[in-house]
Amino acid sequence: MPSPENSHAGAKTPIALELKNLRKEFHVHRGKTIIKAVDGISFSLKRGEILGLVGESGCGKTTTGKLVMRLLKPSSGSIIVDGEDTTAESANSKESDFAYRRRVQMIFQDPYASMNPHFKIRDVLEEPLLIHKVGSTKTERTEMISEVMRKVKMTPVEEFLDRHPHMLSGGQRQRVATARTLILRPEIIVADEPVSMIDLSTRAEILQLMKTIQQEMELSFIYITHDISTARYFTDRIAVMYLGRIVEIGTQDEVIDDPKHPYTKALIQAVCEPVSGRVGIMRELEIKGEIPSAANIPSGCRFHPRCPYATKECSEQPEPELIDVGGGHEQACRRWKEI
Amino acid sequence: MSETTSTVKPVLEVKDLRLHYFTSKGAVKALDGVSFDLMPGEALGLVGESGCGKTTTGVALLNMPSPPGRIVSGSIVIDGTEIVGMPENELRRTVRWSKISMVFQGAMNCLTPVYTIRKLMVETWKEHAPDASFDAAAIEERMLKYTRRVGLPDHVLGRYPHELSGGMKQRVVIAMALFLEPKLIVMDEPTTALDVIVQAQILNLIKELKRDLGLSYIFITHDLATEAEVADRIMVMYAGKMAELGMSEQIFAAPDAGAASPASHGSPATYGSPATYGSRGPLHPYTQKLLASTPLLRKKVSELAFIPGAPPDLIAPPPGCRFAPRCPFARKKCSEAEPPVVELEPRHLVACWKAMEDPAYAVS
Amino acid sequence: MNLKDSLDSLRGFWEEFSKVKTGLVGLAILIVFVLLGLFGQWLVPFPEATKHWLDITYWEDNPQAAPPVWTNWFSAKKGPPSLILTSPKVEKTSTDNGMVIQTSTFDFKDNYDLPPRDLIVRLGGNGPIPTKIAIFRPDGSGGEIWRDQLQLSPDQPTRVSLAHSAASGVIDFIRSANENLAFSMDPTLIKPVTLMFSQIDPDMVNSPKPMKGPYKIVVTQLVPSTDYKADIPTIGLSGYVAGILGTDKMKRDIFTGIILGIKWALIIGILTSVISVVVGVLLGIIAAYFGGAVDWVLTRLYELIYLLPVLPFLIVVSAIFKPSIWTLILLICLFFWTGSFKTVYSMALQIKEETFVEASKALGSGSWRIIVKHISPILLPYSFASMALSIPAIIVYEASVSLLGLGDSTIVSWGQILQAALTNGAVINNLWWWVIPPGLAIALMGMSFAFLGTALDKILHPKLKTR
Repeated sequence: MPSPENSHAGAKTPIALELKNLRKEFHVHRGKTIIKAVDGISFSLKRGEILGLVGESGCGKTTTGKLVMRLLKPSSGSIIVDGEDTTAESANSKESDFAYRRRVQMIFQDPYASMNPHFKIRDVLEEPLLIHKVGSTKTERTEMISEVMRKVKMTPVEEFLDRHPHMLSGGQRQRVATARTLILRPEIIVADEPVSMIDLSTRAEILQLMKTIQQEMELSFIYITHDISTARYFTDRIAVMYLGRIVEIGTQDEVIDDPKHPYTKALIQAVCEPVSGRVGIMRELEIKGEIPSAANIPSGCRFHPRCPYATKECSEQPEPELIDVGGGHEQACRRWKEI
Repeated sequence: MSETTSTVKPVLEVKDLRLHYFTSKGAVKALDGVSFDLMPGEALGLVGESGCGKTTTGVALLNMPSPPGRIVSGSIVIDGTEIVGMPENELRRTVRWSKISMVFQGAMNCLTPVYTIRKLMVETWKEHAPDASFDAAAIEERMLKYTRRVGLPDHVLGRYPHELSGGMKQRVVIAMALFLEPKLIVMDEPTTALDVIVQAQILNLIKELKRDLGLSYIFITHDLATEAEVADRIMVMYAGKMAELGMSEQIFAAPDAGAASPASHGSPATYGSPATYGSRGPLHPYTQKLLASTPLLRKKVSELAFIPGAPPDLIAPPPGCRFAPRCPFARKKCSEAEPPVVELEPRHLVACWKAMEDPAYAVS
Repeated sequence: MNLKDSLDSLRGFWEEFSKVKTGLVGLAILIVFVLLGLFGQWLVPFPEATKHWLDITYWEDNPQAAPPVWTNWFSAKKGPPSLILTSPKVEKTSTDNGMVIQTSTFDFKDNYDLPPRDLIVRLGGNGPIPTKIAIFRPDGSGGEIWRDQLQLSPDQPTRVSLAHSAASGVIDFIRSANENLAFSMDPTLIKPVTLMFSQIDPDMVNSPKPMKGPYKIVVTQLVPSTDYKADIPTIGLSGYVAGILGTDKMKRDIFTGIILGIKWALIIGILTSVISVVVGVLLGIIAAYFGGAVDWVLTRLYELIYLLPVLPFLIVVSAIFKPSIWTLILLICLFFWTGSFKTVYSMALQIKEETFVEASKALGSGSWRIIVKHISPILLPYSFASMALSIPAIIVYEASVSLLGLGDSTIVSWGQILQAALTNGAVINNLWWWVIPPGLAIALMGMSFAFLGTALDKILHPKLKTR
């Protein structure tokens, strides 16, 4: 069975992706306002792992995803894929960009918007092959397309290939979107809220499918979501983001069952569950105020205006870096032991 | 089968409501025979996935289906007044916003950007106040009363929508639904577009308002977790019909249900002892599956359930029970005859052949 | 897309299209125009007209400024249509000195209230031959009205126009009826053919009354020898009315002109609109997609040209350079691309932000792939509608330029016809059949494209939304 050539040779490193101090600033209003969407992020994604990037809107998780995808250029910092620094000057050519895209793929949030409505499913899946000149004959390409369709359980394949996206359900479209990312055999997949626009009863199906494929193909996943409950189900590790920085990172058990950072605690406090006995009972929310604008980041620890445990030092002293609190579980609150 | 168990009259009585959208491809039977009641001070949750008819029910209660929709038959009685068949002018003046108001899905993003909040609210007043009197001072007082009640600072009245955050805009929309003092408010996905923490804050606000104002709510969402926070009773809808209607305790597990194994999540035997009502848990397979598909945060679940397939075509729905094609328990009978709505426990109604015939739930 | 897909989408498109009535009307009119344009060659009475539009000899036999034949239906006074009288009764009598007198008698029944404009006798032979022509009227009056020695040639027929040559002859036979009347007539001022067919009364010059009844026109030739081949003459009756749409002052059949003009109207309209829309769309997409300097340059260019007044510019350029029709087309294109540019620009800006474009970039798509595969197909429907909608204006521009006499005079266009009409005082002289048909044709064709374009726009516009 023909398969596209791997764009990289040799043994793969155990760390699939590493971000070092990644920053992204947007200059709006003719440069008068600077929005620091991503303000110094560092983490590593192990090969074959699913890392969840969790946070509310404006925390920078989607921007991080786009930086990893090279849809945006970082303002500073580095992105290291498989040991290679892809943000170095030498790696900035069109060819390296092109080669990069075979290794890192994206699943978008809106399954309908991410496909050209005039394309047939066949065309949607053939596009990556044509762009990267994989599969020299139509038959070869059709075989590859059928293979990924079977992988995402869209069978019988012929029934779907000639349809247009609007003829499929949301879940089916997202499967096709997944198939599209797989056809070039990437190493890393960035999934940006892949199931938030899909019906509840189908979400688990899609997530389960993604997990199966991920394990089979040894893919490394970055799963971006605002819904920490699905992150619990789907991910191995979770990184919690707030206003452009990671405030806590660890295994999902550590982060959810034993959160150390006040923001993580606040997030978990706020999540509702389908259990009885909640009606009429106020949910305790220790957190104050609202998310500030990324153009106006608070001094010191950026969470301090909202933190129920903040002291004067929190606003005056420099922002804490990630502190290891045991076994790889890291968080960014300097008072973590006291709270 | 009567819902009223005392002399208190329900604030809302819906009987056999049918609403169809007449498109060029045929009539989409978005609502096909739905009945329920709502008592004063009670919150009823409408839950279901896309296309189940929950939003349609909401707009039907204000008799504002978007064209080409029309209420085909059935009755809606709000505070003793029949809405179906009422002329548009009368509806606008005497019913909408004064007896029943609605927080529409995504309303916070539909605030006219060129009007201040004050102007928006005044316009609403002019449209719907029963007596068309325009006493600027009285209106201002009323507006402030409710903006304060929803936790907004006074200066918000002078601001424009784009100057407010998502949470504040949603509070504005809620204030607008409240300030003509209706008896009944319909909320359609009021927290879906909000961040987790803001969502929790708004839900707290809704709980406060429920406690303090004694209003009745209809709370529409696809998210069972949100529903659990607000609704006293929950109606699960599927493909334009009601699947199950029960008290919150009858639908959900009690918070101290202990370590529920994944397979039993949602099954009858795990629920704690009932308070006042029988509590054998959700009886309709769809509800059970829906619960099993909702991920929990505080309990680790190794496998989430899902329902293969998709909801039926509402132009030509399949015969019999509409859920039968996707139901793991479906039998021949299910695709032949539609199950009737039966009260299997006090205040717990189900439309399912399997549930009816289970000897544990003898029909009383 | 393979053939089956194309046919399917065409069928689907047709279903939608047929729902819009105005579109069908527009299409029908257009089809009629196209068919006439293609096959008109064989329908018109003067197939060689294109080559001879400016050649007066081609049109000699037509009456000048004659109204259309069907006006007889509406007029109280009916005039004869143009006819050719052939097959006369021929008699040959030999003379003593070996010559033959060839007499051709033509019968003509005149039941018309108005006289024909001319009688043209066409004769052929090889060499000199004495000829005379006489006319015999229903009331018995009449007689010889012309005689001369003609030099006939076998290749080209000789024409004798009685309107030009028979003045004195006509006065002669009037003299026999009313001497004073004949005396008062000035041969240079009277209309011989009119008088020939009118009753003889003192007022006949100013208000002639028709004499209805059978007429005989006799052409007598003295054939010199037996080797002389004297053709049987024919008489062309230049009618009072002529043609489906009448004739102009240069005797050209207007119907022919209109039919021939179709081809040019279609060519000018379609060619110009296609070129300008394609250019506008391409530039619009390029400006929107690449942004930055490219956008700046193109947008400034657009603004500059958009602000230039088209017609004055065209007039000036045409007056100085006297361009051919092809150059004119190019000039109009220069202006018209701006029409689609701005709209396409804003649409492309929107499409550029769509998630599927982002997804394509994430896959490694280059700019051209995105432009060609993702953006252009969405804009295609709009382009077609735009093309159809710009044609009316283009046709009018060309007509205006021609109207001012600055157009390409080697082609027959409706604008040309209109121009000729106005410079020759058609309006003043009430020659409505010269002015209205070309104007109507321009309006009709413009209207058909406008209907077509609006229908296309109506159907395709909702599909412009990508969801």
